[in-house]
Amino acid sequence: MKSGFSDQLIAVLPRLRRFARGLTGSAVEADDVVQAACERALARMHQFQEGTRFDSWMFRIVQTIWIDQLRAREVRKEAAEAEGERLGSDESVRRADARLALAEVRRAVSRLPVEQRTALLLVTVEGLSYKEAAEVAKVPVGTIMSRLARARVALQGQLEAGGGLRRSTDDAEIEG
Amino acid sequence: MQKSRDELLVAYLDGELDERRRAEVETLLQRDETARLRLTQLGEGATLLRAAFDEVLREEVPERLIAAARGTTESEPTQGAEILHFRRKRTAESWRTYKRWWIAVPVAASLFGIMVGGGLTYVGVDHQTPPTGAMQQAAASAAATNNWLDTAAEYHKLFVTASTGGGSFADIPAKDGENSGDVMQKLSQRIAQPPMRVPNLKPWGLVFQGARAIVIEQHPAAQLFYTADNKTIGKAIGPLTVVIASSNRPDVAPTFDHRQDLNLLYWRRKGHAYAIVGQADIGYMWGLANDIAWQFDAI
Repeated sequence: MKSGFSDQLIAVLPRLRRFARGLTGSAVEADDVVQAACERALARMHQFQEGTRFDSWMFRIVQTIWIDQLRAREVRKEAAEAEGERLGSDESVRRADARLALAEVRRAVSRLPVEQRTALLLVTVEGLSYKEAAEVAKVPVGTIMSRLARARVALQGQLEAGGGLRRSTDDAEIEG
Repeated sequence: MQKSRDELLVAYLDGELDERRRAEVETLLQRDETARLRLTQLGEGATLLRAAFDEVLREEVPERLIAAARGTTESEPTQGAEILHFRRKRTAESWRTYKRWWIAVPVAASLFGIMVGGGLTYVGVDHQTPPTGAMQQAAASAAATNNWLDTAAEYHKLFVTASTGGGSFADIPAKDGENSGDVMQKLSQRIAQPPMRVPNLKPWGLVFQGARAIVIEQHPAAQLFYTADNKTIGKAIGPLTVVIASSNRPDVAPTFDHRQDLNLLYWRRKGHAYAIVGQADIGYMWGLANDIAWQFDAI
């Protein structure tokens, strides 16, 4: 059973990393969160309900671990760490940010409140339905809907303010 | 409308509105240019957002995470996120052949005895037994059961066997630079289906490799081939095929089945039948099905 469970886990690792990267804004932190999520999932594999979405279950674990870490950081008064500074301190992220327009989008996401960021990543990036995202975030569907709209509007505003939308669109087309 | 206009527009883009509200939004869009512009902007923002994070999917997964998933790691996360390169495993090596497997179309055709020309029918193969016997066995099985899902599963096996041997039987390979619209246009012409686009499954770590015109239960169909773009996870996901066929049967919601050691998720919608076939876990397939259904509805 563990082998099959691990195979499922490995299959979703790229998406867990993407989700965690969006939440944390850092490659290193994201992988730490994903690693912790894998360990927690294996410890609690008996809690996973067959027939339900495995990826949603894992997104919930990743999100929970990240929120726990944020809270712990607040207790240690480390939350004052500047987002931009944190992003800039990560060499792998800096390399990935060579494509400035897309990096601008990621930075804009990192500036969103955690709740909006989570809704945005779950629905718009990971493709979950509102209902599935609501289950992951443990909030009503209507809350996801409003958070998502606020996030999309805020993101739009940031990109327009930064002049990144036009450049970014070009990038997206090239990526095709 | 109780919801804000932006909430409704975003939910409209996400396909999350019920019929009444969707109609309201469409009425609004017809008469309000500002709303149309807003919708376009929000849609562009979503496209950008996905593009901004998709490159994470193409990165090699650090070994420490694979170890963590297998439960063979220390509980302390490694600091510094050192990314280790995997030794090239035999399975990973074999999947490398996918990148060129369409080159040998005639070879595969003669090897597996698949039919050439416009009149395609079904011949399957079981890779556990020699090709000739397996073909006959699979063909007889398919003819006897005349079962749509069995046939889809057999086509999948044929694809896997041909690809593993370095061959191919793709009618329409996904050449570099050739966009998927061209692929499906050619395929649509051959199988007399309405124009379709190849589903973009890159967010799921899958790369489109080619397509083939097939026939299932006397209905023209298309078989699309995908392989994992990340060799680290390739073994867990495996190759996947998506079958799209015309159908005159009633719509059916996505339904899971298991045939010949393969997972299948199939559904019917608006005169077409769809199936995702492979060895990936069913949760992953559910996600794919949702995405594919959404992409086709969006056309």
